[in-house]
Amino acid sequence: MSETKNREPLLQVKNLEVTFGERNHKFVAVNNVSFDIYKGETFGLVGESGSGKTTIGRAIISINPISGGEIIYKGQRISGKISKELDKELTREIQMIFQDPMASLNERAKVDYIVSEGLYNGLKHFTEAERKEEVENALTDVGLLPEFASRFPHEFSGGQRQRIGIARALIMKPDFIIADEPISALDVSIRAQVLNLLSELQEKRGLTYLFIAHDLSVVRFISDRIAVIRMGVLVEMAETEQLFAHPLHPYTRALLSAIPLPDPVAEKKKKLIVYDPDMHDYSVDKPVWCEIEPGHFVLANESEQADYRKLLE
Amino acid sequence: MEQEVILSVKDLEVKFNLRGKILNAIRGISLDLYKSESLAIVGESGSGKSVFVKTFMGLLDANGMITNGEILYDGQDLSKFKTEKDWLTIRGRKIAMVMQDPMTSLNPLKTIGFQICEAIELHQNLHGAAAEAAAVEILNDVGIPDAANRIKQYPHEFSGGMRQRVVIAIAVACKPNILICDEPTTALDVTIQAQILSLLKNLKDKYDLTTIYITHDLGVVANVADRIAVMYAGDIVEIGKCEEVFYNPRHPYTWALLSSLPQLGIKGENLFSIKGAPPNLFSHVEGDAFAPRNPRALKIDFVKRPPYFEISPTHKARTWLLDPRAPKLDPPEIIQKLHQEVSGDV
Repeated sequence: MSETKNREPLLQVKNLEVTFGERNHKFVAVNNVSFDIYKGETFGLVGESGSGKTTIGRAIISINPISGGEIIYKGQRISGKISKELDKELTREIQMIFQDPMASLNERAKVDYIVSEGLYNGLKHFTEAERKEEVENALTDVGLLPEFASRFPHEFSGGQRQRIGIARALIMKPDFIIADEPISALDVSIRAQVLNLLSELQEKRGLTYLFIAHDLSVVRFISDRIAVIRMGVLVEMAETEQLFAHPLHPYTRALLSAIPLPDPVAEKKKKLIVYDPDMHDYSVDKPVWCEIEPGHFVLANESEQADYRKLLE
Repeated sequence: MEQEVILSVKDLEVKFNLRGKILNAIRGISLDLYKSESLAIVGESGSGKSVFVKTFMGLLDANGMITNGEILYDGQDLSKFKTEKDWLTIRGRKIAMVMQDPMTSLNPLKTIGFQICEAIELHQNLHGAAAEAAAVEILNDVGIPDAANRIKQYPHEFSGGMRQRVVIAIAVACKPNILICDEPTTALDVTIQAQILSLLKNLKDKYDLTTIYITHDLGVVANVADRIAVMYAGDIVEIGKCEEVFYNPRHPYTWALLSSLPQLGIKGENLFSIKGAPPNLFSHVEGDAFAPRNPRALKIDFVKRPPYFEISPTHKARTWLLDPRAPKLDPPEIIQKLHQEVSGDV
């Protein structure tokens, strides 16, 4: 735990709020979310569809404008109005990997262009030879052959396309990568390959990941810390093993119980927990985001906090 | 204990004509489907699992053809069916299908009620108010609250999980004997996935269905399947009872599939992943199709296609490893661990 405290946060999200629509049609997608991501770690963000997990990722790279709170990257505020130079710098340093490799690549462009598109908009000017070399390096790094550069996306399988998506992010030499459900659309056997590639790249280049997913079993494998989000509100955050050993919030437990086990006997014995938000009595005693043990945060009111503390003992 | 066979496939071969090139999608599958069982067919994309079940409903694309074998259902050979008229006596009425993606398998321009009633009117001879009442009843069965009002709504007013429930409602509306679920939960969240799987299980008991699940994820089927068939390159390489396949897998491909599940991964170590790519089915596959990707393949694997070896009366696998002359190879540690954990538990 002490290790975590000494580490330097790369990205800080403070009281983030994102809303869509206006006045009567206002919808709060992300409500008062705060977390830190430390340098070199993988931070898992888990929730159902519609929970706002992707919105947070998109808010960080300012695709979605935020309506409250702030985002701090390397000690510098990057939300709201920022200078043009900083914006360009951020485009290089923060990259995103998208969910569906079938939809996220330009069907009409060759791999060569898809991968190097970011370089055209960059700060530095590249000559044609340099650009070609960069593309070659990026493709080799993700385990593809350099001659694939002259092909079109439809010539590749799902796993290879996702590798192209990763190469496109890597070529900018980013420090921070937002991976938005990078393996949900892939086969189980291909998933393993892409997960291995991501952790290999992290080791080699000291990357920091924000890993967004709905499947806790995948996130467990790759993340150092996990935050669980529901309806735009964080409900629990802890180190991975801590979260799996002592899940406190009932929603986290429901998510854990939904993981399919590759084991018929255990699976038949398992009881599926369905989360019912009415189980909390928040009419008088309002819930707060509190640190229940070092590094383990949970959303709970006073009486629930007392229960959770008892559980942890 | 003899079980009643409801559908019997013998030596089925399916080929596709792709601009003059012939693709061998299914390479001689024999399979008996027993009444009221639930069978899971597991394999990677491109292994031919969807093509295989599509032949039961006459849903092959125009360039696909059954070149050999027969599909016996209710005394008829489905592989000889030619016209749509023939198929309409089977499709939907006797064998129904739930498609993968609930976002695209409903008509966005028609109400939910219309789409369910369409199936009921066609196959059950109920009309007007009677059909609508039947539709409401079925929507209640699949767990959609306030069904009487919701049948007037359009698909976009439903969430992904709810849409999949509607698709299931349409499939069971005609009271089929066999329900085929083609990756019913791949497009859904984990929590919704668990709910849909338990719904399918309940419906199976209630309507006495025989179900076939198709999936690429072995983890999903542990709870729902009685038997599991593992498909690779257009062939069933291993088939057995659920427990047998999970606790005593024999084919190297089944080992590989099980080992690559992230649930079994150990943090800090690389997940097991299958090297290489599935074989090119345009050309004739020599020997065991999985041999080139199997680091421990035997010499004979590259020469001769293995026959089925019986491990128990219900469990067989197509690998030379089971031949008495083969060297003894133990399954990877990670799978043995799974086995031990469970046997210690029971």
